[in-house]
Parts: sequence; structure tokens; C-alpha cells
Amino acid sequence: MAFVPSKIKKHKSEMEVSLNLTSMMDMFTIILVFLIKNYSTEGALITPSDYLHLPFSQIQKAPEKGLDVVVSKQVLMVNNEPVAPMADVVTNNPAIVEQGVIKPLREKLLYYSSQSKKMEVDYGIKFSGKVTIQGDKDLPYSELVKVIRTCGLADYPNLRLVVYRKTD
Amino acid sequence: MAFRPSLRRHMRMENTDLNLTPVMNLMVVMIPMLLSGSQFIKLGIIELNLPPAAGASVAGKQTTALPKEEQRSLDLTISITARGFYLSSALTVLHGKDATAPSGAQAGTAGPTIPAKTDGEYDFAELSKKLLEVKQKAQGIFPDADAIVLQAEKDIKYQTLVDTMDAARMIEIDGKVVELFPRVALSAGVM
Repeated sequence: MAFVPSKIKKHKSEMEVSLNLTSMMDMFTIILVFLIKNYSTEGALITPSDYLHLPFSQIQKAPEKGLDVVVSKQVLMVNNEPVAPMADVVTNNPAIVEQGVIKPLREKLLYYSSQSKKMEVDYGIKFSGKVTIQGDKDLPYSELVKVIRTCGLADYPNLRLVVYRKTD
Repeated sequence: MAFRPSLRRHMRMENTDLNLTPVMNLMVVMIPMLLSGSQFIKLGIIELNLPPAAGASVAGKQTTALPKEEQRSLDLTISITARGFYLSSALTVLHGKDATAPSGAQAGTAGPTIPAKTDGEYDFAELSKKLLEVKQKAQGIFPDADAIVLQAEKDIKYQTLVDTMDAARMIEIDGKVVELFPRVALSAGVM
């Protein structure tokens, strides 16, 4: 018997070829759900850099807002404005450090605290005296104490040390 | 010319598909947005409260702010040195097992309560255990049985300090977390 062409295929019309997007949609949905799950509305508090590696801690307390003091390897900053180079702080340069108090930092902090106190009088926003310290993990204790002492003297006694949370 | 039948006769039912293009557009926009906004590193904070206006130049004020002389306090202090941890309270200094002062050495040169490990690492687990012993003895006797003061040598790194705070804050025994000394203060004095 001779070869009989397929009767089904004979009547099959040219079908439009379309990409099957269903699996891609599945993937995107999973990624989207995952990203929304760990999306934080608070925004990033810090910008990590080569000169600032925060220490790790097991504490589970969530960060809160306060005046930002950054103590990196290179420079001391308040609210992202450079205040003093760390080299002068470490060497106790008398123009910068006096009796373990970092003078430019104290002036800056006093300026911010006076502004905040004015806000408290004018608008009723309470002055909390909170300052968040972002210190590099290799910072020696002597330098940290200088910063903390200066904060204490400049009306910011409530210190918050910012750390990376260990997740294990 | 005769009537020509409509060509629609041959038209097949089209395979109706959902138009996914707008959903795709949404995904393509939202995924980069969420990726850029999400935090993969979780931040935390350690609270450290100083008495207002404490410091070297107002030391006089500080002493007047501490009344209640008759109340006995523990004043537990951890001193972090390159050789290890020294534990001390208002009453005594704890000594380690092999901390008997070598013959001829002065009393102050006794070894640390918890010596550093041989590779130079600090023994935080041992510190937590020791603090648990202290806590169990001090609980209920002293009013400041949840407070601890840290002091350190000037070269001690910030990370070591934070690890010591962690070790002093709590200890995990058989999966249960026992609180030790969560109220941490830093001593202004640098050794």
C-alpha cells in the first residue's frame, strides 16, 4: 500500500506562533512577592563604603532616627557633612582635640541641638538628644571614647551605636 | 456575476489568549524598583545612655548626681585588655583559675579573669558563663544587677567592644536566652 498523506495535517491551517509567557510570569510573580516581603519603607540609613564597615552584633533592636554621626577611617561626619579629619583626631592635634573633646564636633552638635531646641519651642517637636553613631569596626576604643564624650557634652546623651544585625 | 459566499466560512475560532503585555510591563518596572529599595543587610542599634552633660570637665556635677551612699551597689566592670578580660565589682576583683600572681610580681599584675585564647581571640563564651555565675549570685541582692560598665585599653577595637556587649547582654543555654546585664555603660577612662 502506498504512502497515504496524513488527513489531519492536510487541513491544518497556518497557526500564529506566539511566545508562551506563562512560565516567565510565574517566575516574575515569585520574585515580586519575595522583594515586596523584604522591602523596607524606612529607606537606607547608611551608605556603606570602603572606609566604614560597621561591626556585627547579635542585638535585634531595629534602628531609629537620630542625628547621624559617622566615624569612618578617614573623616568624622555629622549628617553627611565632614567635620574633622580622623588623622587629626587620632594624633590629638591641639587645634582639634582639647582634653579628649573634639572641638569641631562639639560646635556642630551644639548647633544642631540649639536648632532642635528652637524647634521644640516653636513647633513642639520634642528634642530627644538621640544621636546614632556609625563607627568603623576597627576604630580604637580611645577614639570612640572621644566621640562619645563630645556627644555627652554637647546635649546628646542618648547614644545609639549602629551595627549590622547578625542573622543566624 | 453570481453571489460569492463570504470568506468567513473558512475562518477558524481564534485561540483567545490573555493579553499579558501590561502585566509584564508592570513587573519589569516594579522588580528593579524594589531591588534598588530593598535592604539585604539588617541594621540594629545598641542603646548607650549617658547621664546628661557627663564628661571630664564637669566631673563635679557627675558626683553630685549620684546620691544614695548607703545603698550598696555591685558596680560590675569588665576591663578589656590585650591579654583578656578582667572582671571586677565594687567589692572585689575576680581572678581566673591560673591567675595567681607569679612570685615576686605585684598584686596588680595578676592575670586576667578570662584570659584570651592562645590564638589571640577573646573567649566570649567563657565571659558569658562567668557573668551568668555573677548574675545568679547578685540577683536580688544588688539594685544594679542588670548594669555593667565596660572599659578598655585604648587599642581595643570597636568590634571587640560590641562583641563584649553582646556577651554581657545575654547567654543562650539549651536554646533558651537568659538575660545577663543589658544596661551597658562605657567608662570614660581609657586604660
